[in-house]
Amino acid sequence: MATDRDLVPASERLWRWFCMVAGGLVYLFLLLPVLVIFLSAFSPTAYPQFPPKMLSLRWFQAFFESRDWLKALQVSAWLLLIVTPLTALLGTTAAYALARLTFRGRAVVQALLLSPLIIPQVVLGIALLYVLTGVGLAGSLTGLAIGHILVALPYAVRTVSVSLASIDRKLETASMSLGASPAYTFTHVTLPLIKPGIVAGAVFAAVTSFGEVSVSLFLTAPGTVTMPVRIFTYIDQTFDPVVNAVSAIFIVLAVVALVLIERTIGLTKAM
Amino acid sequence: MSRVSSPGASLFSWFLLAPGMLFLAAFLVVPAILLVVLSLHDVDGMLMVLPGYSIAQYLAVFTSSVYAHALGTTLWVAALTATLCVLLAYPAAWLLVNTRSRSWRTVLYVILISPLLTSVVIRTFAWIVLLAQNGLINDVLRHLGLIDAPLALLWNMKAVVVAYVQVMLPFAVLPLATSLGEIPAALPRASQSLGADARHTFLHVVLPLSIPGMMTGAIIVFALAAGSYVTPLLIGGRLQPLLPIAIYQQALQIANLPLAAALSLSLLAVTATIAGLMTYVQKRWERRVYGH
Repeated sequence: MATDRDLVPASERLWRWFCMVAGGLVYLFLLLPVLVIFLSAFSPTAYPQFPPKMLSLRWFQAFFESRDWLKALQVSAWLLLIVTPLTALLGTTAAYALARLTFRGRAVVQALLLSPLIIPQVVLGIALLYVLTGVGLAGSLTGLAIGHILVALPYAVRTVSVSLASIDRKLETASMSLGASPAYTFTHVTLPLIKPGIVAGAVFAAVTSFGEVSVSLFLTAPGTVTMPVRIFTYIDQTFDPVVNAVSAIFIVLAVVALVLIERTIGLTKAM
Repeated sequence: MSRVSSPGASLFSWFLLAPGMLFLAAFLVVPAILLVVLSLHDVDGMLMVLPGYSIAQYLAVFTSSVYAHALGTTLWVAALTATLCVLLAYPAAWLLVNTRSRSWRTVLYVILISPLLTSVVIRTFAWIVLLAQNGLINDVLRHLGLIDAPLALLWNMKAVVVAYVQVMLPFAVLPLATSLGEIPAALPRASQSLGADARHTFLHVVLPLSIPGMMTGAIIVFALAAGSYVTPLLIGGRLQPLLPIAIYQQALQIANLPLAAALSLSLLAVTATIAGLMTYVQKRWERRVYGH
């Protein structure tokens, strides 16, 4: 077989190079903010300078010495611990049922499950604010958890659906024909097989909850300020360089999440 | 397709579907309905919601030049963001599909997916660090001697669009890469062996087949850009005439909930209509190029 070089005329090779360089530049553009955040997190000055003259951990120190920032971290951590298992549970059961049932309106149910991804978050925020105010939950941790689950649910449904699509249905049929009940089959055959999807969904849910700001701003109260909400108000009103260090912490968490997703369903299938 | 047809299994699946459906009913469907009802009420001078039904809020939305302008700007910014995202997504998706080395492809995926795992407020903050008066770009330009006084890069709509494009680009790249990856390698090769050059092959074979993926990305980016307020508020400032910012302010700062409800439902209706039209065009196109 002839090599590419023999077949491809010079004009096309030029075109390929152009595409590669353009593509590479786009990835650099995507990476830019991450680089900026690391530059500023370790910068000794409030605004980072380029090129950096020295490194400093003073903003990290300021973070861990600030009672208010630690309180926000605590609220966010609680939310993450509530939201992650509940989202994984709701997402897994819903994705499984959708994969196994055929009924009129199934497409509608599926669209409903994924809709929080595409509905403007300002609309979700105001709708939840109104309803939760009515039942006395606005500003509470419960209210924020509800908002976070709503936003994170589509991710969990999607990752579990990806896992479900790849398992062999015959295993379930065999289990049931051997006399196992549907519930036993689900917990002992299906769940172990779709565990990667569930873990990936839980990771997405945790990261979404920890970073959620658009809906949270509507549901927050002085006692339940999460990390992203605190960052938002700080950027909006003053400028606190501690945000530099906080941002780096967020990036590190995103990297941890990336590794977990790659080890479970794989990055290529995550979106 | 064969499905497990035993009534027990089916009953069990319905049982599993129930919690998710109840959750969505309680916290998505009911709130949406109540939001519609709320938007049909008027308020008194103290912004207290009056009992009788009225279309006063919608009259306020559609007769006010402020909101008409805000809606126009919102749609324009969203369309511009979607267009730029699709244009930039093309080389990025091409590189992703044509990278043969597995580890390089993983690196590209990491770059594409990591923004989705980083809070939007963090990514927006990075742009403020870059664009501020004493930010990185001004710093670099001053060091290079290109400028004497710092440029005002922040607090304008251009900065909002740049940040939007960066924040939403992965949503455009991923569906386009799927679309490009599904084109059988034999097709462009056949086109070229029949004498078409690279440009012709791209314009007449690859591009038409990748339009569904482009449209999917464009629809998602458009909807997200039309509905976000965090990035434009922090980068553009609170005075930018964008509908999501107006909704945020009416709901949380002025506390006129019925007006905020009417504004958000109008925004939802307009963006849903446009996204629906784009989906329709996309489906028509898919049927034309794929024949099904």
